[in-house]
Amino acid sequence: MKKQFLKAGMVGLLMTGFLSQTAWSQSDPTGKRRVTDTYAITNATIFAAPGQQGTKGTVLYREGVILGVGANLQLPKEAQVILGDSLFIYPGFIDGAGLTGITKPKDPEKPKDFVSSNPSDEIAGITPWRTISDQFSITGNQVDDWRKAGFTISHVLPDGGMIPGKASVIVLGHAGKVNVLLENTAMAANFKGSRGMYPATIVGVMAKFRDIYQNTTLALDHSKLYASTAGVKRPEMTPTQTGMAAVVQKQMPVIFTAATDLEVRRAIALQKELGFKLILSGLEEYENVIDLIKSSGVPVLIKLQIPDDKAVKAQKSDSVTTATKAQYDRVKEAYDKALKQATLLEKASIPFGFSTMDTKPGDAMKAVQTMVKNGLSEKAALAALTTNPAQILGISKMAGTIEKGKMANFVISTDSIFKESAQIKHVVADGYMFDYEIKKKSTKDNGKSEDGSVKVEGVWEYTSETPAGSSGGEITISKEGSDYSGTISYDDPSGGGKISAPIKNVSVSGKTLSFEFEVNAGGDNLTVTIAAEISGADMEGTMVVAQYGSFPIKGKLTTPSLTL
Amino acid sequence: MKKLNFIFAALMGLGLNYSQAQTPKGNVLIKNATVLTVTKGNLENADVLVQDGIIKQVGQNLKTPSGTETIDATGKFLMPGIIDAHSHVALDVVNEASAPIVAEVRMKDVVNPSEIGLYRALAGGVTISHAMHGSANVIGGQNATLKHRWGSVDPADIIMQDAPRTIKFALGENPTRVHGRGAGIQPRTRMGVEAILRNGFNEALQYKKGWETYTTAKGQKGNTVTPPVYNERLQTLVDILDGKIIVHCHSYRADEIYMLINVAKDFGITKLVFQHTNEGFKVAPEIAEYTMGASVFADWWAYKMEVYYSTAFNAAILQKNGVLTSINSDSAELIRHLYHEAAKTQRYGGLTDDEALSMITINPAKQLGISEKVGSIEVGKQADLVIFEGHPLSSYAVPQMTFVDGVKYFDIKSDSDDQRLQVSATEMVEPIFLYGEEDHQCLQDVDAYFEAFQGAFLEEKH
Repeated sequence: MKKQFLKAGMVGLLMTGFLSQTAWSQSDPTGKRRVTDTYAITNATIFAAPGQQGTKGTVLYREGVILGVGANLQLPKEAQVILGDSLFIYPGFIDGAGLTGITKPKDPEKPKDFVSSNPSDEIAGITPWRTISDQFSITGNQVDDWRKAGFTISHVLPDGGMIPGKASVIVLGHAGKVNVLLENTAMAANFKGSRGMYPATIVGVMAKFRDIYQNTTLALDHSKLYASTAGVKRPEMTPTQTGMAAVVQKQMPVIFTAATDLEVRRAIALQKELGFKLILSGLEEYENVIDLIKSSGVPVLIKLQIPDDKAVKAQKSDSVTTATKAQYDRVKEAYDKALKQATLLEKASIPFGFSTMDTKPGDAMKAVQTMVKNGLSEKAALAALTTNPAQILGISKMAGTIEKGKMANFVISTDSIFKESAQIKHVVADGYMFDYEIKKKSTKDNGKSEDGSVKVEGVWEYTSETPAGSSGGEITISKEGSDYSGTISYDDPSGGGKISAPIKNVSVSGKTLSFEFEVNAGGDNLTVTIAAEISGADMEGTMVVAQYGSFPIKGKLTTPSLTL
Repeated sequence: MKKLNFIFAALMGLGLNYSQAQTPKGNVLIKNATVLTVTKGNLENADVLVQDGIIKQVGQNLKTPSGTETIDATGKFLMPGIIDAHSHVALDVVNEASAPIVAEVRMKDVVNPSEIGLYRALAGGVTISHAMHGSANVIGGQNATLKHRWGSVDPADIIMQDAPRTIKFALGENPTRVHGRGAGIQPRTRMGVEAILRNGFNEALQYKKGWETYTTAKGQKGNTVTPPVYNERLQTLVDILDGKIIVHCHSYRADEIYMLINVAKDFGITKLVFQHTNEGFKVAPEIAEYTMGASVFADWWAYKMEVYYSTAFNAAILQKNGVLTSINSDSAELIRHLYHEAAKTQRYGGLTDDEALSMITINPAKQLGISEKVGSIEVGKQADLVIFEGHPLSSYAVPQMTFVDGVKYFDIKSDSDDQRLQVSATEMVEPIFLYGEEDHQCLQDVDAYFEAFQGAFLEEKH
């Protein structure tokens, strides 16, 4: 009896734990269960919203909901305290459109009697009935990478052809949870033609889009008539029309991928012609259409990427003709302008977000930092990562800022995220903390010691050029603790072989090695100072002889010290 | 009813609802030129006054209205802007090659105003080009008539909004190769091409009837008639039957030309222009009697089987038989010197200056349905003008300035080495795609790409 009671108690306890998630502590065969779901990150620098100054304080959250933000919070006993003293906390980033976690479904097999001029919708990439539920996995492709880059919520689009299907908003949280925040938020579309069948090109895609749209409208009219009148032929909504119905009824926006200014114009033209709600995504070249974007009021998600600089980097500085130089200048100008596009959006007061489609998670912050370097304000940059996409996706109530009552989605970094040296140490998504390794700066770079300076220990052979001719010798440097000592040999000024002298005031700073030594010349003690840049096993620099001038010196590390 | 109107507005194929921004209109007085009006003879030492983009006065010693720029064209020739009735310049896509009929596609959707070919055309005195769909389909897409207002990055600015709708047809080897040989469907032969046309128009008639029935029934009480399937492809064919669209048909052989004339007669289609028409000289009287003429090459042939029986006298023979004849480029290169192409009709056929010049001005304007607005130097017409050093039909002719709506878009004196409007930020040299051999066997899946590349990057796509 007692035993049974105990059993029931156990079950009850487990149940409680399951439901409230506050009491995970009992047997957990996986060992992964959290001790608590209440956390306090204390004494961190909190950037609660775009444009706000960082303030020192504590963030307290439970079960994925922020309980409080501030300096004098009462921390509950069960709260796991994370010391945030040196850390910076930002709202978790939101991806306005991405393929995070998506596996592209296999292309359907073509039937034997396939006719490329009139393929089925599915084969032609027209699958508006699809949702991401069959394609998305929280453990899928790149979810970890994007979370590591600071993204806690992603508007995930299905992958496919011209109309791949419906998107959903997903929190990039714990793998064991249901992570869908909003389902069927937008219909994905793009100007991708189908290979070798109708519609094969943009011009065909646009015609087909109109066709689908108009026939969905008519099919809905038919259904309405059928519902109200007897004797009407039964409606036959195709899966495509059923899928597109919410778009035609203006309940669901179309999220059109439009990379160039002309594609932006085409998407907006279709929207004006047909009347659906539109979000533009994946913009890369849009300088020419900023006024149009502004006047149309269409929300935009620019591609979280900066153009590659290969063409600019490949430009040679010398031995090019004037004509080539002129071409270089135009490409350089185009490149510089491309980097400033986001700034122009800000100037036009267009609240844009980012799309991560076809971009690399590892380069995301670098892209943002480059935009900031090119004039985008940090406020606008953070808004593009947080509040703007929240607004566009209709999740401002739950996400985008660090506020009481919102989701516990944070980016926790070692420094201001707009600094290149900043590293993301933790990401909190849906109240779950993900930890990332912080790389020590300049660790094992070739030829560098732990403090970032070059290694100089060993035997160097050097030559120097003086008005008296070329001379040379050996420099031997050893290191004890942080102090360097050694000797240098040189041609005896009084002739006849080499003599050696101790070196002093040896210092290694960054790549520069410098030291002094004394030469006895005709009874006078001359101080010789050598300062040289070390690059791997080579040194190059100057030798300054007091009152005589400075002379070039070159050296090679012939015997690196074995006591590294 | 409102929705229906809306749908019909779309069915009309109004193209993109680009905001119809005001395009630039110029004021200029060109003085002391030899004015080749094309339709009203030549005027020595004459002036042409342009106000608000329109030719206001043509005559001698015109007064300069205050604030109007004056250009002294002493010793130079002034002619109407050259019109190219067959071009693929400034189109991002040329062929939607995937079906035998693609009447629903609109080239206005894919106009690219930054394509450098437009500027090069201006440098050759061409102010208007007919940006056509390719010839992969029996009935191709709807074309766009472009005014070369170089400098705008908005496609709407270079589309001639007041030009009528036109559509591309194609007969012979291209559609039979792409669809018959390439995809294993009709048309495999010229008979199949005709069948596609006739079946298409018959279906269009049924489609029209279906909509008429629905529209009539819709408003009535207790109506049980349901809306037909919307099909812009068939609606466009209906519009052709209703005379709202001018057909421009790629054709070479006399038999296929005569076939289309008969099809057109049977379906009551009167707005018909033949393109290329290399064997047109064999059926010149028939073309003259029934169509809006032919737009031909000056001397291009033998690039495939159906183009072997050709002659450089084609244009002259057609002209002498009363066919409205124009000479086109179909090429981003030839478009730069269409005046040379026109001059060839004097070498091969001895046409007069006016006849030769008509072939690149007023005649193509008529074939595009815009001759009331452009194509000659007449008071009231749009001021699309070119100033030449040397007579335009001379081998030494060099265009000096080109105007569209009285606005100067080309001036040889300010012609810089790099006239690109948009430059890639990531490519030192923009990619050029070279076309290999023309072999569509086993290339069913890449056919569309071949055609598209052919259209976008290569000159020969006739």
